Amino acid sequence: MSNPTPPGGPGLPETQTLVPDTVPAPAPERKGTTTKSGKPASLWTDAWYDLRRRPMFIISVIIIVILLVMSFWPSLFSGIDPYNARTCDLSTARQAPSAGHLFGRDNLGCDVFARTIYGARNSIVIGVLTTLMTTIIGGLLGIIAGFRGGVVDTLASRVTEIFFAIPSILGALLIAATFRGRANSIFLVIVALTVLGWPMVFRIMRAAVITAKSQDFVVAARALGAGAGRIMFRHLLPNSLAPVIVVATINLGTFIAAEAALSFLGVGVQSPDISWGLMIADARNRFLEAPLPLVFPAVFLSLTVLAFIMLGDAVRDALDPKLR
Amino acid sequence: MRVTKGARIVAGTALLALAVAACGGGASDNGGTAAGGETPVRMEVGEPQKLLFPQDTTETEGAEVLAAVFSPLVRYDENKQPVEEAAESITTTDSKVWTIKLKSGYTWHDGTPVKAEDYARAWNFAALQDNAMSSSYFFGRVEGYNDVHPGEGKTPTAKEMKGLKVVDDSTLEVTLSAPFSQFKTMLGYTAFYPLPASAIGADGKLSQAYGEKPIGQGMFKVDKPYKKGTDQTIEMSVYDKFPGKKPAGWTKLQFKIYTSSETAWNDLQAENLDIHDSLPATAISTAKQVLGDRYFDEPDASIGYIGVPLKYNKDFQNVDVRKAISMAIDRKTIADTVFSGTRSPADDFINPAIPGYRQGACTACTYNPAEAKKLYESAGGPKSIELGYNADGGHKEWIEAVANNLRANLGIEVTPKPFEKFQGILDALDAKEYKGLFRMGWSIDYPSPENYLTPIFGTGAIGTGSNYGGYSNKDFDELVAKGDQATDAAEGLKLYQQADDILIKELPYIPVYFYRSNFGHSTKVKNVKLNLLNQINWADVEKA
Repeated sequence: MSNPTPPGGPGLPETQTLVPDTVPAPAPERKGTTTKSGKPASLWTDAWYDLRRRPMFIISVIIIVILLVMSFWPSLFSGIDPYNARTCDLSTARQAPSAGHLFGRDNLGCDVFARTIYGARNSIVIGVLTTLMTTIIGGLLGIIAGFRGGVVDTLASRVTEIFFAIPSILGALLIAATFRGRANSIFLVIVALTVLGWPMVFRIMRAAVITAKSQDFVVAARALGAGAGRIMFRHLLPNSLAPVIVVATINLGTFIAAEAALSFLGVGVQSPDISWGLMIADARNRFLEAPLPLVFPAVFLSLTVLAFIMLGDAVRDALDPKLR
Repeated sequence: MRVTKGARIVAGTALLALAVAACGGGASDNGGTAAGGETPVRMEVGEPQKLLFPQDTTETEGAEVLAAVFSPLVRYDENKQPVEEAAESITTTDSKVWTIKLKSGYTWHDGTPVKAEDYARAWNFAALQDNAMSSSYFFGRVEGYNDVHPGEGKTPTAKEMKGLKVVDDSTLEVTLSAPFSQFKTMLGYTAFYPLPASAIGADGKLSQAYGEKPIGQGMFKVDKPYKKGTDQTIEMSVYDKFPGKKPAGWTKLQFKIYTSSETAWNDLQAENLDIHDSLPATAISTAKQVLGDRYFDEPDASIGYIGVPLKYNKDFQNVDVRKAISMAIDRKTIADTVFSGTRSPADDFINPAIPGYRQGACTACTYNPAEAKKLYESAGGPKSIELGYNADGGHKEWIEAVANNLRANLGIEVTPKPFEKFQGILDALDAKEYKGLFRMGWSIDYPSPENYLTPIFGTGAIGTGSNYGGYSNKDFDELVAKGDQATDAAEGLKLYQQADDILIKELPYIPVYFYRSNFGHSTKVKNVKLNLLNQINWADVEKA
């Protein structure tokens, strides 16, 4: 994409150098403008047509669907409820996999398979909610900053830069550790990741809006007397959404990984809740003795993150006509 | 009074631990080579809770460092009996008036001779309420303690205990308010070290400089001030004029401060550390293989408990609730699986390493899930309980195991609650922010069964001692007092056991396991031995 902002422009960050991979070209304006709503919006149909033929997309969607089913109905996959302490038997700790316990047992004699399956829910919930929150906050601020420009934009951009300057895991750790024990641990992880995750979405939304703003259809809408709200949400939003969707999808994967990292470090999800990061942390100390309780959640974690990142890549490719 | 090793390591979040540990590695590597050619013997230690003031050190880590700098009045021989070390003789006729004669030849690290008044100064300082020394409780038996330490809210009427009399430069006479047969045994503890005049500043307080670079009369002198919180090592070298046995062939000792025993274990494997005396349970099976005959597993006089906040939470006041919790814990499996056999299931309030232990004395310490559930339900125990532990002492796994036991056997909700450090649990209890059970460990100060009773469960130890649960029982207090006054050792033991019986019946804490010491050393040293207080006998250590 071309940088919409001339270098040294009034208070605009250099979007291109900071997030080159994840920012696709802003969606081209739809061919038949919004007034003729009967006509198919070609970008989206094109993208859909393109996506269906991509093996990467199909594989990632299959994995994600399985994960979603797993997190909503874990009992379909595992007959053992790991939240019931009776299913753990300390005397069988670190037992090798067997028919009843496909992945073996962990350090406390709990079934690794069941815990891995049930662990999906917290990861997915945290990933999805964090993505939702960052997209709403970042997107909203991005539209406003991009559309208004001037002081509002400068201010918002500077604030974003401050947040960007904080190393995200360190920042999230700080937040999560400070408030640990005072709020629900899952809620805390979502808040911590949201606080540090929204600037990314903000930048992309803002850049896309700035490009779209100067397009003819916006000028036309303005000429017809459309108000700021209408222009922002009816014209700019739909035409700037594509890159945000791509980033959000990829972010979902990284948020899941970040959750695991926080849980691993002891400030994320807390026992008795189950999380892959927590399982990895618990199994770590005895890795040499019993590697499996660490390997299985790690594999699931990697697969999940990979699936979302692959999906994001596929969506980006489909939405970016220049790469086609 | 010492809360055990596990309770010790003071650290923040895991990341912090990693970061600090990383710093530690770097700093010590430099320190090792910069120390004038000789590579020091490097010893693992957790961060001392306070500066290095003997009278304000009541936990194992600071005590371990101070034990190298000071020479105690008595040490303990193989039979756990006190033997004179810095003292020439300790005598009494009635267990009430004790005469301590000092050995000649001991000098402070600044060259001045050690005198009896140095002991009196230290002990009076520790006892005086205004000084708020954590070890003051230890002097509670000395006559006149109540005048200098009348209790919270009251003003001391004297500065010095009248029971402490300096007869001449090398003789100290201690009069106790009541006969106490175990007094000599107590004298090996950190609180009874002497202090030089220079330790106390013009304002009557311990000087910060002294706490950073304590001047002792022991085998090692501290080379440079230890800045708590920043320094990752404490450097020492042998004191030339130390009259006792000195280590052969080496002179430099370095304590490396770790916030995680796992990190220290990694360093030991990499030979960046020479002695590690608190190997994490998770490393035991690997340690046996990796270290071979450099790995040691010895009985240890410490006990691990689940503490009950009797004072803070009415839910646990019914003894049946505590009994049920106790019976729901599968100690044997926890000892075997979680601790890889390096702990043994507790069945008494007195540890087997100390005279007075009776095997199987605690009947409610036997695993009996069916009975436990019945008892818990009929007693109406709380439906959900919290289980607090300090996150950096390697306690997570066994606490989780206990939590699973309680969940499965009592059908209740159990939430393990990590605290950054042990003190955090106590602070939270005091601030009424936390009302749950808590992990507790006890490492002896002196080898007497009395040490498992008074400091943890005595009414007098609430607030000043380590009676964190706030248990109070008059009969118990009386029996212990009678035991203290017994002139005959066997008679005293019997009375202590009767007091122990009360604890077993009432379970103010729930004993879970007896410790064993698991330590290992690198290929660079040999002949490493722990004494009864889990401190290294430095004079015996040789470089390999």
